[in-house]
Amino acid sequence: MLVPQLINGLTQGSLYALVAIGFVLIFGTMNLVTFAHGEVYMMGAFAGALAMTVWHLPWFVALAMGMAAAWVLGFLIEKIAFRPLRTAGHMPPLLITIGLSIILKDLAVILFGAENRPVPSIYEQTIRVAGIQISVLQIVILGVAAGLVVLLRLLIQGTKIGRAMRATAQDHEAAYAMGVNVHRVFSIAFALASCLGGAAGVMIGIYYNAVYPVMGAAAGLKGFAACIFGGLTSIPGAILGGIIIGVVENLTVQFLASGYRDVVAFLVMVIVLVLRPQGLLGRKLRTV
Amino acid sequence: MKEGIMKRRTLMRLLTVLGLAFLAAPSAWSAEPIHIAVSAPLTGNFAEYGQNWQKAINMAVEWINAAGGINGRPIEILYGDSKSDPKDSAALAQKFTSDSRIAAEIGDFSSTASMAAQPIYDRAGMVQLSPTTSHPMWAPGSPWSFGIVGTQAGEGPFMARYAIEKLGKKKIAVLHINNDWGIASKDYFIHAAKEMGAQILGVESYFETDKDFTAVLTKLRGLKPELIYVPSFYNEMALMSKQREKLGWTDAVVMGPGSLYSPKLLELGGSSVNGLYTSAVFFPNDPRPEVQKFVKGFEGKYKATPNMFAAVAYDAINLMAETIRKVGADRKAIRDELAKTKNFPGVTGKINFTERRDVIKDYRHLVVKNGQFTLFDK
Repeated sequence: MLVPQLINGLTQGSLYALVAIGFVLIFGTMNLVTFAHGEVYMMGAFAGALAMTVWHLPWFVALAMGMAAAWVLGFLIEKIAFRPLRTAGHMPPLLITIGLSIILKDLAVILFGAENRPVPSIYEQTIRVAGIQISVLQIVILGVAAGLVVLLRLLIQGTKIGRAMRATAQDHEAAYAMGVNVHRVFSIAFALASCLGGAAGVMIGIYYNAVYPVMGAAAGLKGFAACIFGGLTSIPGAILGGIIIGVVENLTVQFLASGYRDVVAFLVMVIVLVLRPQGLLGRKLRTV
Repeated sequence: MKEGIMKRRTLMRLLTVLGLAFLAAPSAWSAEPIHIAVSAPLTGNFAEYGQNWQKAINMAVEWINAAGGINGRPIEILYGDSKSDPKDSAALAQKFTSDSRIAAEIGDFSSTASMAAQPIYDRAGMVQLSPTTSHPMWAPGSPWSFGIVGTQAGEGPFMARYAIEKLGKKKIAVLHINNDWGIASKDYFIHAAKEMGAQILGVESYFETDKDFTAVLTKLRGLKPELIYVPSFYNEMALMSKQREKLGWTDAVVMGPGSLYSPKLLELGGSSVNGLYTSAVFFPNDPRPEVQKFVKGFEGKYKATPNMFAAVAYDAINLMAETIRKVGADRKAIRDELAKTKNFPGVTGKINFTERRDVIKDYRHLVVKNGQFTLFDK
């Protein structure tokens, strides 16, 4: 049962990684943390679920719709919570995002109800590889996560806006001085991060067959943990962090008990951070 | 001026009450009615259940009175709204026990509300017959308390017999919800299953908030059980079944207690819950004539299929009427006769009180077939 548990962990971890990358994009460019990311993920998940249950659209269209909804929401959050307070320091935007997260959660309860909303199953088949039964859906989820990471890399490395984002991440004042439209970069980075969160939300809804208003809390926390674990500003670090948390959780269930999954996952994170405060692949923290 | 309004109001009220009394009084009766009190949540969080009771009880009383009442006397129900709040159920108990017309009481809904009122009925010497209270410590708490819904102490062994004797599955793994109910449910099942010679390969738990069961299912799968027993609720069972299907684990039978019996399970679980075994205290498609009479009557009157809550209330009022028919409306005589109940043919199975004055329920064996609950007959 070790290999199936590794695959379970990898699948779950790849979705944590998508959430974690969102935190990295936001922190990396803007040097700020958002606490509404989990709720953006939840709203993306609901958009995807509605697309599948109400309009009966295929899953990839639902995925696109979830991502689009999260993009718009992220764009608005950046406009409301971050743009007007660019010079106000860290605390006010942080508090606003906590407020927004509560608003979004309650709004979801009002709009969609507090109970689980079922999401139809896709790819219920399994395939056998070297005697091990693997769920096709898990392969699809891993494929989607990997595909999105590749697209993101192409965007960041190969396009003009990607280059602007990297420049802003290094030093936004210098980038601004060189003629980069920093506001636009912030806006796009935030929307892009939200979009990845929305994708993770849709995929987790499909994976567990349920979406519900408080689903963002755990995902936001795990994603944030994975981001810190990986080194705060490193995308490969966030991916690694997400996957390690996912795998550790599933192995804990296998070798200890179901109740210990979060205990052990966070314990590993604490130990790593004590030994290596900059995270797995992080730069040494600069003093700002 | 103010006094005038008050007077007029009082007069209006008086007239309304009189009018209602005329409307309610069955004019054909010359004999004094037999009064039975019902303490139920008619408003508040549990209103849905209290209203189910009310529908079933009103219908039963209508039928009894139409057939001549109890030895020529009609039944009259006095409802009290407890909101299933222990404060209100205790206050109602005071009110009911001090009203000398009332012969016995039916209620309350929750274990907490029933138990709060228990000492008052006990002191006054009035029967408290609860349709739904299932706490194992409730009925033994007073000689005046009776419960007819059964307790987990009866359901666990029933499910174990279903798994081992009916289905012949002896290698069993258990996955239970980690709360008081789930732990008690698991313990009664495992204890009985071991006595019947089953092998418990593993016991795992999950928390109420868990949505991801892939890891724990993968672990249980490694133990190669023939049957997984899952004391849980329909929400988690639906998710679990879907995730189990996706993992391709199809060579084990899934079974869970009556908590799974809900149309929601079929709605949420879809095809993945086909082949799931469970049980029910009340099953509307049960062909027994008393069940069909109740279901048809209820559907005709209320345009809805009765649920378990309506069914146990229907049994409670009929059992009470039958008892009073035998011994009259004396509080003490009702208690003594009720305790002797033998094979009362309820729509939720035969009612025989144990020494503790609760019932070892005669559950229906159910299995999900083609997306529907069906009776298991083998």
